[in-house]
Amino acid sequence: MNPRQLTFHILRYNPDTPKQAPTMQTFELQEEMGMTLFIALNKIREEQDPSLKFDFVCRAGICGSCGMLINGRPTLACRTLTKDLPRDISLMPLPVFKLLGDLSVDTGTWFRDVSLRTEAWIHTEKVFEPKAQEERMDNETALNIYEVERCIECGCCIGGCATANIKPDFIGAAGVNRVSRFMIDPRDERDEQQYFDVVGSEDGIFGCIGLMACDDNCPIGIPLQGQLAYVRRKMAVAGWKR
Amino acid sequence: MQLQRTLTRSRKADLMTELVQTVSGLLLVGFLWTHMLFVGSILLGVEAFNRLAQFMEQFRLLDVAVVFIILTAGAHVAAVFRRIPGRWQEQKIVWKHAKTIKHADTWSWLFQAVTGSAMLVLIIIHVFIVVYAGINAKLSADRVHSWMLGFYIVLLLLAEYHASVGLYRALVKWGVVKRKSLKKVLTFITVCTIGLGLVSLWLFLSLGDSV
Repeated sequence: MNPRQLTFHILRYNPDTPKQAPTMQTFELQEEMGMTLFIALNKIREEQDPSLKFDFVCRAGICGSCGMLINGRPTLACRTLTKDLPRDISLMPLPVFKLLGDLSVDTGTWFRDVSLRTEAWIHTEKVFEPKAQEERMDNETALNIYEVERCIECGCCIGGCATANIKPDFIGAAGVNRVSRFMIDPRDERDEQQYFDVVGSEDGIFGCIGLMACDDNCPIGIPLQGQLAYVRRKMAVAGWKR
Repeated sequence: MQLQRTLTRSRKADLMTELVQTVSGLLLVGFLWTHMLFVGSILLGVEAFNRLAQFMEQFRLLDVAVVFIILTAGAHVAAVFRRIPGRWQEQKIVWKHAKTIKHADTWSWLFQAVTGSAMLVLIIIHVFIVVYAGINAKLSADRVHSWMLGFYIVLLLLAEYHASVGLYRALVKWGVVKRKSLKKVLTFITVCTIGLGLVSLWLFLSLGDSV
């Protein structure tokens, strides 16, 4: 079989020259065996346009830096094989996050801000004893925490979320999922009212309108629908008691 | 925390609005489906339909239903209004977003907002007519025999779609449900209720001048 000739339509935008409106630029590339978008984009940059901006670090779906809209769908470029895509491939950066140029966005600032606002760390009065044996956690709890903690903060759930697209303060599925991780953790001594202060509002769980684009597009398959419903029910009970 | 936020700390309001939206929505779905079953009593004949209508008027159930629909629909509209993107730029963003990510449940939300807004007008007209004219088979047959047939078909389709998508979203948001099977069940129910509504309309249409 002859290799396909792929046509990439890539969004070009440079925030340093804001007068130039974003445009879709076209690149032609011959498909290769086992080609991922990581390989394709690097080839385009090496052979056709060295100014093309995009992010990759681990190229193995672990670091979460290559989230982008691939034919409109938010997902990881490094794990996307060109053979699963049509001949015409459109690539756009993730919305919501600060656009650094072309396909590159700054997810870090957004996630740090959400972590601070949701106080995403263990709250405890216990003083750390470096020499004491670590407290045990039962296996089921540990697995539950691990399940939601697999989040790599790629931002695909945020880019795909209509609410996050129009409400800058909305913490989205990634934010709610992160808080749910501490709700499960017995080491965190916060009570439900303290959690309610953090996520029991329109900026938190009650801002979610249930479109589930997050759940449908999470590249590593975190059960976001279940986590959102879990936090929603817990926060409804907590809020009701106020 | 900023001053204005510390001074106005009623964090419960967001939860309460959400609860009003959900509960009123669920009640309205129940109302709609019951309503369609009652209208469907025409399948059992003019006699059955008129008797049910008389029964409802006799025990003031019609008044109860009208008060219920005004209060519940009013609460629902007030609560869901905040969800509709108010600024022109936000409108542009959500429509463009839906077109870009090609995600079925995102589209259905936009249709939910559109059908809801359209229904607000149609329901007001519908309730006014019923309150002023009352209910019996002849009135319905006469109405269906005019330009209002189109009105009822549109209202039927919009209401069933809106109710179905709304119920789907409420269950997805609050409970652990498998979305695929829930969609199947709700599509089945919606097709049935729309079918029942259309058959009822057709029966009224064929009754014509005979009642």
